[in-house]
Amino acid sequence: MSALAVRALEKRYGGLTALAGCSFAIEGPGIYGLIGPNGAGKTTLFDVIAGATPPDRGEVTLQDRRVSGLAPHRLVRLGIARSFQECRVFPEYTCLENLAFSRIALGSRPDLQEARRLLELVGLETYADEPAASLSFGQRRLLEIVGTFLQRPRVLLLDEPSAGVNPALLEILSAFILKMHAERPGLLLVIEHNMEFIMGLAADIIVMHQGAVLERGTPQAIQASPRVIEAYLG
Amino acid sequence: MTRFAAPAALLAVLYFAPALSGPYLLHVLVLCYLYAIPAVGLNLMLGYTGLVSLGHIAFAGIGGYTAAVLMVDARLGYWSALAVAVAAAGAAGAAIGLVCLRFRSHFFMIVTLAFGLMLYSVMNNWDDVTRGAAGFPGIPRPPAFTTLESFYRLALTGALAAFAVQWLVVRSDFGRILIALRQDERLAEAKGVNATLYKTAVFALGSALAGLGGALQVSFLRVAAPASFNLAESINAVLIVIVGGAGSLAGPALGALLFVGLPEYLRVAAEWRLVVFGALLVLITLFAPRGIAGVIDDGWRRLARRGR
Amino acid sequence: MAQALLEQVINGLMTGSVYVLVALGMVLIYGVMHVLNFAHGVLFMLGGYVCHFFFTRVTGSYVLSLLLSMVVLALVGLAVERGVFRPLQGNLRNQVIASLGLILAIENLVVALWGPNALQLRVASTETLVALGELRFPAHHLMIIGITAVCVALMFGFLKWSKLGTAIRATSQDRNAAMVVGIPVEKVDMATFCLGTALAALGGALVGPLFLVFPQMGDAPMVKGLAGILLGGMGSVPGAVVGGLIIGVTESVSTLFLPTDYRDSVAFAVMVLILLGRPQGLFGVRVRGEA
Repeated sequence: MSALAVRALEKRYGGLTALAGCSFAIEGPGIYGLIGPNGAGKTTLFDVIAGATPPDRGEVTLQDRRVSGLAPHRLVRLGIARSFQECRVFPEYTCLENLAFSRIALGSRPDLQEARRLLELVGLETYADEPAASLSFGQRRLLEIVGTFLQRPRVLLLDEPSAGVNPALLEILSAFILKMHAERPGLLLVIEHNMEFIMGLAADIIVMHQGAVLERGTPQAIQASPRVIEAYLG
Repeated sequence: MTRFAAPAALLAVLYFAPALSGPYLLHVLVLCYLYAIPAVGLNLMLGYTGLVSLGHIAFAGIGGYTAAVLMVDARLGYWSALAVAVAAAGAAGAAIGLVCLRFRSHFFMIVTLAFGLMLYSVMNNWDDVTRGAAGFPGIPRPPAFTTLESFYRLALTGALAAFAVQWLVVRSDFGRILIALRQDERLAEAKGVNATLYKTAVFALGSALAGLGGALQVSFLRVAAPASFNLAESINAVLIVIVGGAGSLAGPALGALLFVGLPEYLRVAAEWRLVVFGALLVLITLFAPRGIAGVIDDGWRRLARRGR
Repeated sequence: MAQALLEQVINGLMTGSVYVLVALGMVLIYGVMHVLNFAHGVLFMLGGYVCHFFFTRVTGSYVLSLLLSMVVLALVGLAVERGVFRPLQGNLRNQVIASLGLILAIENLVVALWGPNALQLRVASTETLVALGELRFPAHHLMIIGITAVCVALMFGFLKWSKLGTAIRATSQDRNAAMVVGIPVEKVDMATFCLGTALAALGGALVGPLFLVFPQMGDAPMVKGLAGILLGGMGSVPGAVVGGLIIGVTESVSTLFLPTDYRDSVAFAVMVLILLGRPQGLFGVRVRGEA
């Protein structure tokens, strides 16, 4: 029984095919990378898994339970959380309010102590009562990622977490992700373009190309694979 | 504690206004309160949740005409009729919400606009029930509140109740979720919020408040007329909320005061007054989107900063 | 019965044509700028008033007045686009609220300048009758249908073959891609808005002689136009044409079974049915959460 599996996913947007028979299975907790050239369908895959859009064909299963086609808010209750490529936070809410929202949305009381601890881990504790809009892009990205972990997900989808973040903050981000994963191991699937960043986090990399899985393996194997190189260059 | 001193004093003055002023001022104040009640409902929907309803006052019309029919034709007791009228408006809101809130916001705007126009047509033409374009006369005031002074107190209480509801909602978890929906609905959904459910709930609540305003209004004026509930009035409601300050607790009060009070003070022809208000709405949206309440708030902040 | 039905179908094509003119303008603006211009109704109305002004004060020629009103309204549309919609770009909520302000200001300005009463546009074509079999219609009815048909044909040709038309289609499909290939999207916004407003003005000027010119005359046509767009599928230009005509004909035919006073409810009922049954309309594509 796989923790997360997608089978023969197809998705078209008008004349554009985003997913063309995408299939893979992830057995259990761990940090997994998802890479591929632009247009490979990575974000669309996340949109389908997280319920933002239903697949035209195929299915997504969580612990062998079929979840494709369910609405995003229902999937959250089944343990899925995600971040967005463009980085989404509530701009008017303070950092603390943003973090507290993860619980409030599900009808529970927020754990402000835990929220403050995590803010401290990423160096944002002085911004606890500042509106998120006043943060720099990199800081907002950190806030967003912290928020996703506070949802205590079983499956966490991070979409290009390093994009737009300067090297200093990247270190903090990387350390934070590893620490969170060590505290509460879950299934972490990370889309990335920054090879150094993802190779430092994941031991298992899935490569997508033109809407389907091209290859899968360790960072070393992937980097050496001629098919992968050709996909990026061709 | 000192925070409450000023509002408490204001409240006291308002409550004892009948002893302090003449019928003209009382009449104007009652109209202010009756405009403020639906405005609170719209503020919850538009100001806090971000739902742009283009037919809000149609629900005031549902409240008004339901009250009229129940009180006059069905001879139901005043308070029961009022309760049913408010519930009817809320139920209509829930029904409309269920049809269109699942979808992109464009659909909600179009449907509320169309609903308002359709309802106006029904109010104008269904002579058997609504008495048509001439209006539905003979609507009673509640038994203990037939005079201007006593109705004034009733209207003030109604307005205060509406503001109390607003305050309770805004500081609750329900309110926090609504405010999140306004900022980024997609993100809220990704955090586990059933957006459609919450939007429908606030739409029903806002419509019920509109219904309350409408029912009290027809009672005050003793007549229900279609012209009180047309598209122009729905636009006025948006004006009151936006100019007063959308998403602020005091916004509906400030907006209603401006909308009802200022023309009485200035005595300009009705059309030019509305031209100015229309232009004001455009200008506020362009340059001061947080309305009067926002301007006051910014003023306070600047003063506070200088004091440090 | 068949005669009555045919009569209502022709009437419906006429009112439907007016809805098509409104819907076309709105769907083009929506496609390019992703905003529903709720001020479209008052621009329609203004077209009627401006036409009336030119017809009664300047030139006795209805056709000339009609064209002049389209030009004047295109300029008004330009001002509205640059002054109101462009600064609020990207914020749909505020754009809609601002257009409400425009409705309020323009409708009352008209009342302040022309008074609240309806104005008459005495035009020959409303008095001349044309025979279709046993039925008689004012020539004006057929003129409206004809002019709209020509406009639709011109519009399709324009969108397909002209440079600006192609730019409009490209910007509608993917604004970012259009910018990348060098299309001046801001000019496209302006041109589309002017075009849409001119079409609305045409609608108002055509309808004036039949149903009088009065401040609220644009409200119902705008809603019917929106119903047509919803029926046809948001963003679909052929959908707007088909949808507008269907709404018009359905409304007119419904008067055979329902009291005439409730015509306006037909458009609303159609909307509800679409949203419950086929939210993407006839020609739309379904996307989650976006119907």
